[in-house]
Amino acid sequence: MPLLKVRNVTKCFGGLVAVNNISLEIRHGETLALVGPNGAGKTTLFNLLNGVFPADEGQIIFEDVDVTHFPAYRRAHLGIGRTFQIPRPFNSATVRENIAIGGMFGAAGSEIDVDRAMAMADHYIEVMGLSPHRDKPAGGLTPIEKKLVEIARALAMKPRLLLMDEAMAGMNPKDIDKMVAFLKEIRETEGIAIVAMVEHIMRAVSGLAERVLVMHQGAKLVDEPTREALSDPRVIEVYLGKPPEADHAHG
Amino acid sequence: MMNGYRAYLPILPVAATYALLLGIGVVSPDHWQLIAQLAFYCALGQAFNLFMGMTGYVDFGYVAFLGIGTYGMAVSIYTLSDKGLGIGVVLIGLVLAAIFSLGLSLAVGAVALRLRGAYFAIATIGVNEGFRYLLEGARIWNGADGIIFSRHLRQGVGRQTAMALSTWWADILVFGVAFLAAVLTLVYMRNKVGYALLALREDEDAAKVMGINVTRYKIIAFITSAILAGLLGASAWALKLTYVYPSDVFAIHYTVEAIIIVLLGGAGTLLGPIFGALTYGAAKYFLAIVLPGFQLLIFAPVIIAIIVLFPDGTVGLLKKRLRDTPLGKFII
Ligand SMILES: Nc1ncnc2c1ncn2[C@@H]1O[C@H](COP(=O)(O)OP(=O)(O)O)[C@@H](O)[C@H]1O
Ligand SMILES: [Mg+2]
Repeated sequence: MPLLKVRNVTKCFGGLVAVNNISLEIRHGETLALVGPNGAGKTTLFNLLNGVFPADEGQIIFEDVDVTHFPAYRRAHLGIGRTFQIPRPFNSATVRENIAIGGMFGAAGSEIDVDRAMAMADHYIEVMGLSPHRDKPAGGLTPIEKKLVEIARALAMKPRLLLMDEAMAGMNPKDIDKMVAFLKEIRETEGIAIVAMVEHIMRAVSGLAERVLVMHQGAKLVDEPTREALSDPRVIEVYLGKPPEADHAHG
Repeated sequence: MMNGYRAYLPILPVAATYALLLGIGVVSPDHWQLIAQLAFYCALGQAFNLFMGMTGYVDFGYVAFLGIGTYGMAVSIYTLSDKGLGIGVVLIGLVLAAIFSLGLSLAVGAVALRLRGAYFAIATIGVNEGFRYLLEGARIWNGADGIIFSRHLRQGVGRQTAMALSTWWADILVFGVAFLAAVLTLVYMRNKVGYALLALREDEDAAKVMGINVTRYKIIAFITSAILAGLLGASAWALKLTYVYPSDVFAIHYTVEAIIIVLLGGAGTLLGPIFGALTYGAAKYFLAIVLPGFQLLIFAPVIIAIIVLFPDGTVGLLKKRLRDTPLGKFII
């Protein structure tokens, strides 16, 4: 049984079909790279999956539960975690409080009190290397640090499916390698399936994802194992616009 | 640890301030009316802050909860004073005030709290006026003629006790409401409710994605704040004045004062509303003596200047400055 099953979801904004009749499945513990040019509908697809807004058509099944009409907070309780394309930490709250909030209200939230959540936060602060910033308001951090806080906050939610929008945008190659290693590790230790949207970063796709799903103008263009996707001419055309070797060359 | 006694230390400056105010009033009875007025503003700010400060939502119809609480006490004394309940009518009045404000807040909240920010604010503007015209138009609770219940209070509890209730105990109750509001604020801050409110105040959509049922927590804050307002109306207005007219209690300028107090002191802080209330109350009092009639002319620009210069409020600023000092444990 797949972890997530999406059947023919569609979302329109006025006349624009942002997500067009997409179906996909995600298995437990799998990592899927979601790629596609700007405006392809990737963020919109994420919003549909975790319930930021409802789908116009189609069905979303998470672990056998039909969540199509569930609000975002109930999907979070079931185990769908999310980071945003542009980080959205709770600015006036400290880094520790931000991460603790994920623990308090996420999938295990009902059993986690404030003290436990703070202890969880300390754990993820350590893991993400955020210790120097523990008691600083998150609003004052750099964009990359905010991204790390968001990831930690999402992990503290104890999700079974983690949706990472633009997981590594704006990072330098060294940070990307670190992030890839980190995601591989938590995938093992926490048993999380990850759908990571990794834009124009081949090294991340090839190093992390087992499968690649390419979106183009709202539709699913390709959904195949990473090795095949990397040499698929359709992928190269819409996503890379250049052969994959070019990216590897300076790595 | 968060929930050890240290987490509740900030209640000490609150308690100390109220004790000091009470002490001054007792030692110097001439100033009791000023002290009582300051206590009213403290309670108003503290109760209003519990919703506005903690959620970031502005309820322009807030005074309606004070108004309906006033009626809770009035109705109890007016209708039950000949039943031989003695001081029980006052207790029932407080319970009715709480129930009335709870009912109104549920009705308003169920509709308005589904709206975001500015839309919520606009929707609530109508609540207070609408409720007042409903009472007057449908002649509920005597309509515009109000309820005058001084005689009933005397009849119910005796002349001596009635006197003591209006001149002393009503104000003590106001202190009680102010302190209760502060305690609840701190308890919320230290528990999940407070973190949910903090998250939704910062970013409501992100809060939902984190698993927070934002409507539920907004309603919790709204109801708590409304019940405190109801109790405040029942004490500071009903019990103290022993009459109530719709035009007196459903008066929007009290909402405006509540907003000023919270912004002056710092929205969402524990000590801010107290600081805001004392500065606002004292300034209003002295300006009325020194420059009667001109208070507003001087007041408005000063308040705007302070709010623009200190967007986090005075206590908000202090809190940031003292975060890493020993004093920081007390100032939140
Ligand atoms: N809330 C919205 N309202 C209207 N149009 C939107 C909204 N969100 C996204 N769009 C449009 O939908 C299309 C897909 O956007 P998006 O999902 O953000 O793409 P991607 O994340 O792949 O860059 C774009 O044309 C975008 O302008
Ligand atoms: Mg996007």
